[in-house]
Amino acid sequence: MEFRWSEEDSAFRQELVAFLAAELPEDWEKISKGGPGSDDQAAFSREFCALLAEKGWLTQSWPQAYGGQDAPPWRHAILGEEMWACGEPRGPQYMNVNWIGPTIMEYGTEDQKALHLPAISRGDVLWCQGFSEPEAGSDLVALRTQASREDDFYVVNGTKIWTSYANHAQYCFLLVRTDPQSKRHRGISVLLVPMELAGIEVREIPSVVGDRYFHEVFFTDVRVPVDCRLGPENEGWDVVAYSLQYERVGAARYARAARMLDSLADHAERRGLLADPTILEKLGEARAACEASRLLTYRVIDLRAHGHPPTADTNIARVAGTIAERSVSELALEIFGPDSLEYGSFADSHFRLAMTAGVAVGTTEINLNLVASRFLGLPRE
Amino acid sequence: MDFERNADQEAILEALGGLLARHAGPARAIELGRKSEYDFELDAALHEAGFIELACGEQTGPLEAALVVEAVAKAGGVVGIGAAALVAPGVLSRSPPGPVAVSTADASAPVRFAGSARSLLISDGDSARLATIEPGAAEPVTSNFGYPMARLKSGEVRSESLGPGSGERLRSWWRLALAAEAVGTMAGAFEVTLEYVKRRRQFGQAIGSFQAVQHRLAECAVLLEGSRWLTYEAAADGAPAEKSAAAAAHAVAAAGRIFAETHQLTGAMGFTREHDLHVWSMRLQALRLELGGVAAQRRAAAEARWVHSP
Repeated sequence: MEFRWSEEDSAFRQELVAFLAAELPEDWEKISKGGPGSDDQAAFSREFCALLAEKGWLTQSWPQAYGGQDAPPWRHAILGEEMWACGEPRGPQYMNVNWIGPTIMEYGTEDQKALHLPAISRGDVLWCQGFSEPEAGSDLVALRTQASREDDFYVVNGTKIWTSYANHAQYCFLLVRTDPQSKRHRGISVLLVPMELAGIEVREIPSVVGDRYFHEVFFTDVRVPVDCRLGPENEGWDVVAYSLQYERVGAARYARAARMLDSLADHAERRGLLADPTILEKLGEARAACEASRLLTYRVIDLRAHGHPPTADTNIARVAGTIAERSVSELALEIFGPDSLEYGSFADSHFRLAMTAGVAVGTTEINLNLVASRFLGLPRE
Repeated sequence: MDFERNADQEAILEALGGLLARHAGPARAIELGRKSEYDFELDAALHEAGFIELACGEQTGPLEAALVVEAVAKAGGVVGIGAAALVAPGVLSRSPPGPVAVSTADASAPVRFAGSARSLLISDGDSARLATIEPGAAEPVTSNFGYPMARLKSGEVRSESLGPGSGERLRSWWRLALAAEAVGTMAGAFEVTLEYVKRRRQFGQAIGSFQAVQHRLAECAVLLEGSRWLTYEAAADGAPAEKSAAAAAHAVAAAGRIFAETHQLTGAMGFTREHDLHVWSMRLQALRLELGGVAAQRRAAAEARWVHSP
């Protein structure tokens, strides 16, 4: 075991921090308050990711064959940590490099790779994720969006929901049912759908999390060319499972929580609250939770770095991340008191983003199910 | 970064596993517990095989020592392993005559292993103190909390100061040891509970198949695994104040949750002395109360990170 960073990794982090200090605009804090899906942040991500791409950092962990540098998973983790800690200037594009790109590499045709991977590497394409449906949330395999084959097209009809970034996206990583007789895991396929196709309508769902956070996406007789299908027809569930393993710890939310907690402690000091033993206690509790979340995420990255197949350590890390985020955001309200009530204030902004932690990218309950069966070996009956 | 054990660490744990299989385990802990006795035999075996001196070794350090503390705690060993293998070498850079116990200066309450200890490390504000305990200087105390306990008689312990600043150092190593012992002890309690819920059937099915049971155990696993890695990292870094306190804070809080869930899920059987759960579970409460308790470990983590002395 070794818990120190290599000299190269430390040097990379230093360079990255300096780069962020130089490149993030003065009003970055204001831009980043709306979260990765806000209009401002999505727009900013295009110029920022292009800069990252120029430095060779955006997709450095990708194989050289796809324009990456074969950098070890640790390097990509450092990038993710520093990005999330300062509010994710990559906007929605963190998804592209974390899991959409790698999934296309694994399952895509040569044409699909040629179309999508260079665009993702350049940092100027936005994607959204068409998974959840009104009747298929945690029970994702209950999805019903139909794709019926007509010659060289799939005709897609159905509704996706909670789709972040749909308002900006050029492509949707869409799960559909290609076999109308099928049930559950069988008969599902993945389509890489251009959002400009006729028959796609995006509607915002107003929410307390923030503006333009959730959307509904309606597909009405959308004609999607067959060559947009990723992976084999009716066997798309394997593709989904592959992508989820990358997705669940893709966002270094603990790094954001830890950075917020440091700011909170500063605020507490200015308000004279660091002498309050109860506040100190809660700060310590939250700090320990953030550190636990960091190390459990590292554990997942370490397994990947050693070439081991994905395990339920991913789900453990996800649950720990939720605990950390919640303890920080609740403490934010306590330290700022009624000042938190103003929309857009420090505590309010953090609280709104942290609210989604136990639901986004798989609910806590689903993660706990997987820990119980795969990590603890508990029986089904 | 590398989270896998290296060949040396594997070898240490394998050899230690063999030793613990011969000299420790819940049956041995229960037998000694009846008479509140210290396990001098296990203590001697650990010394002889060199497991106590790993923290200051040439090829080994505090991380290897923490792995040993965890394993001995998981085997229910009735020895002051945290104090001997982590705290004493960390503070003194040597091993004093053992067994070793640790206490605070104002301790009027029972202290783990004080009745058998020959050396006592005392946290006394800014300084740490080292005392040699003469026979009879501690009064045995009957306790249900899994360790032999004794109360130090006031005025009968003479000690030397280890110098200014040594107090904080002692408390950091103590917190690290506490975390490592808690991790091993939680793992022991958790494992017997997992076995129990897989085997125990009610309503025609294993109770471990009920989601209400599964989620609680899965949450315990999240807390336990988090505590484990916090402990390893704090040990590898040589017990820095913030990381040791964070590890202790997380681990002793987790210990409370694991105590509650393991006893709830093993039902009345878990309360009996014929089931092994109590060997570990009762100790968890003792660990939770040490060095000021959960709240104090949390405050220590916050102070180390954010409160700067003027």
